[in-house]
Amino acid sequence: MSTRPVAIVGIGQTNHKSKRWDVSLGGLVREAAFRALEDAEMEWSDIDAVVLGKAPDLFEGIMKPELYLSDALGATGKPMFRVHTAGSVGGTTGIVASHLVAAGRHKRVLAVGYQKQSEGNAQFALGSGQGASMGAGGAFAPYMRGYIHRSGAPEDIGPMVAVKDRQNALKNPYAHLKIENISIEQVKASPMMWDPIRYLESCPSSDGACAVVLTDEEGGKAAAAAGRTPAWVLATAVRSEPFQFPGRDPVRPAGAVDCATDVYRQAGITNPREQLDCAELYVPFSWYEPMWLEAHLIAEEGQGWKMVEAGDTALTGSFPVNMSGGVLSSNPIGASGLLRFAEAALQVRGMAGEHQVEEANVAVAQAYGAAAQYYAMWVVANSLDPFGS
Amino acid sequence: MRTSHERGIAEVTITVESTIKFPYKRSLGPVIGPFMTALAEQRFIAIRSGSRVICPPLEWDPETAAELPRDFVDVGPAGTVCTWSWVSRPTEQHPLDRPFAFALIKLDGADTALTHVVDVESIDQMSTGMRVAPRWRAERLGHITDVEAFVPGEEAITVNGGVPGEPVTMMSYDASITYKIPVSDNTIKAHEATAQGRLVGLKCPVCERIYARDRGFCPIDTVELTDDHEVELPQRGVVTSYTIITPVQYPGQTETEPFSRVMVLIDEIDVVMMYQPLVDVPVEDVRIGMRVAVVWASEAEKADAGRPGNLVGWMPTGEPDNTDPSLANRIM
Ligand SMILES: [Zn+2]
Repeated sequence: MSTRPVAIVGIGQTNHKSKRWDVSLGGLVREAAFRALEDAEMEWSDIDAVVLGKAPDLFEGIMKPELYLSDALGATGKPMFRVHTAGSVGGTTGIVASHLVAAGRHKRVLAVGYQKQSEGNAQFALGSGQGASMGAGGAFAPYMRGYIHRSGAPEDIGPMVAVKDRQNALKNPYAHLKIENISIEQVKASPMMWDPIRYLESCPSSDGACAVVLTDEEGGKAAAAAGRTPAWVLATAVRSEPFQFPGRDPVRPAGAVDCATDVYRQAGITNPREQLDCAELYVPFSWYEPMWLEAHLIAEEGQGWKMVEAGDTALTGSFPVNMSGGVLSSNPIGASGLLRFAEAALQVRGMAGEHQVEEANVAVAQAYGAAAQYYAMWVVANSLDPFGS
Repeated sequence: MRTSHERGIAEVTITVESTIKFPYKRSLGPVIGPFMTALAEQRFIAIRSGSRVICPPLEWDPETAAELPRDFVDVGPAGTVCTWSWVSRPTEQHPLDRPFAFALIKLDGADTALTHVVDVESIDQMSTGMRVAPRWRAERLGHITDVEAFVPGEEAITVNGGVPGEPVTMMSYDASITYKIPVSDNTIKAHEATAQGRLVGLKCPVCERIYARDRGFCPIDTVELTDDHEVELPQRGVVTSYTIITPVQYPGQTETEPFSRVMVLIDEIDVVMMYQPLVDVPVEDVRIGMRVAVVWASEAEKADAGRPGNLVGWMPTGEPDNTDPSLANRIM
């Protein structure tokens, strides 16, 4: 990119739960923001602009929450931006914040994503307030059945992903679902919610928030000099496509492939599987892991499920995926994309604690939204030139 | 959904009126919670922020975002109107059913204003700087409407004493919005066609893709599609994919049992109609390859103004299944 380097120097998130009724909405977003500011060793007054992302207003019934939350997020007298890209919004929020720094417009930007699902109902909101809502699971089930049919993947692949992500969540103190000793048998015995997706192959409904502090090259280098490794944003990309047209392929959407192609090109990545050390992908339903490994060019077409089957995507595997426990373990929708982006940054900073991947130097994060039609990705690394170009 | 015809001077516009409503919840947190609790006790509390007293209280300094110590102070009950706006024609969502004023009221002892209602008989009784006091409701829930309204004067009108109850931590908020959207000509034509028992689409002149009659454009070629592009569609097809939905219960949900939605690839042309309902097919019988035909609403069903359309769904034709593997899992 012919723009200025961007460094991630602060990351914070809430303890995600089905109900965070101990805090107000302002208190929830501030919990994440406090942790990000503390990590960045900054005060509210150090922040130049705030970018806020969340799912559509129907979820909590608060119109224009970016105005309602401006003072809670220290944006009084500062620019406040709202981002709308459905489920991918957290990812896009991080990208918009990075662009404000990359363009030289602001020096220190706070990106925040949140959802308080317990205050409304996701099925209601996704059904536009009408009856007979299919929800995300119902809408995506045919896509996943299409993947299974096309790839010939064995039926245990979905349950394997569900188990793997929940095992990772046990190592993440912020994760919502903590299912000790979860097994493939237990997943397969859980109710079929949206054939072929079972209850334990689906994401939970969560309350939670995530915050990220981004700054410029000077700020990043200062953090590094102080012993706080920044994550450098090597590349960002977003794509979208219409929700429906004859011939659209939602199993391998052109928008996803184009987004991945673009982000790898910018980052100087020609072989994602080899040059990336791990990936944090938006997987709200188990089968999306192999689908997205393929659509985002980490696996060859039809080969994604083999990475799952071989254990490559496990925390100790050759290509760990969703080290945090992923969307399958915590799903505050508006925060979910930013949580993916933040986890990739935590990994390359070496700050992921028990779910740290050894020698994670370069990581990719991805989020998608609506009818699997919005895509957002970024590649982060612990140096500005990880491939020694 | 209801269709209404509104006649303007120059043109006829058809609009559809929709209402969506939902009982949202709010967790109040460590500052608004005590404020609401105090309302139930017929008191107002504020919070100190430096040299200022803020009411309603906030968890943070609104200018610096600094977390505030929980230093609460009683204010009011009387106060001064800082500014106001007269509502001459209240709607059912307004707090009073007669004309009233919304006002910013600085309660005695506070440095910031509270938005509330002033109940007076006419606009002539309103003035900036006037003194007002709360009229409390007999039934109080720990909600801002525990104050029914402010009225002119210095004395609060209290009811049933101030018995301390349980701390208020949650609030319910019944949101409702009714809106009218103009209906496009293509949507009207789509309804007219289904009313005649016709299944029609619009064919893009550039890429020849066929879209639903109400789509009105090709997103690939950004071409507007109009009456000139209408094509008749066969009323039979094959199920190429499906989903069985376990309904999650929410206010407004109309389903209680698992229900199916299927993708129907229309015969002879390359169009998949997505997420279609099946009629009289148990969910365990839904399968790829099933041959189906359109079911139209009966005359009685058409007369039901609550019906969204005339295409009820699809029903098996009884023909043998189509086992062509290239059709299986066609989604769009
Ligand atoms: Zn076209």
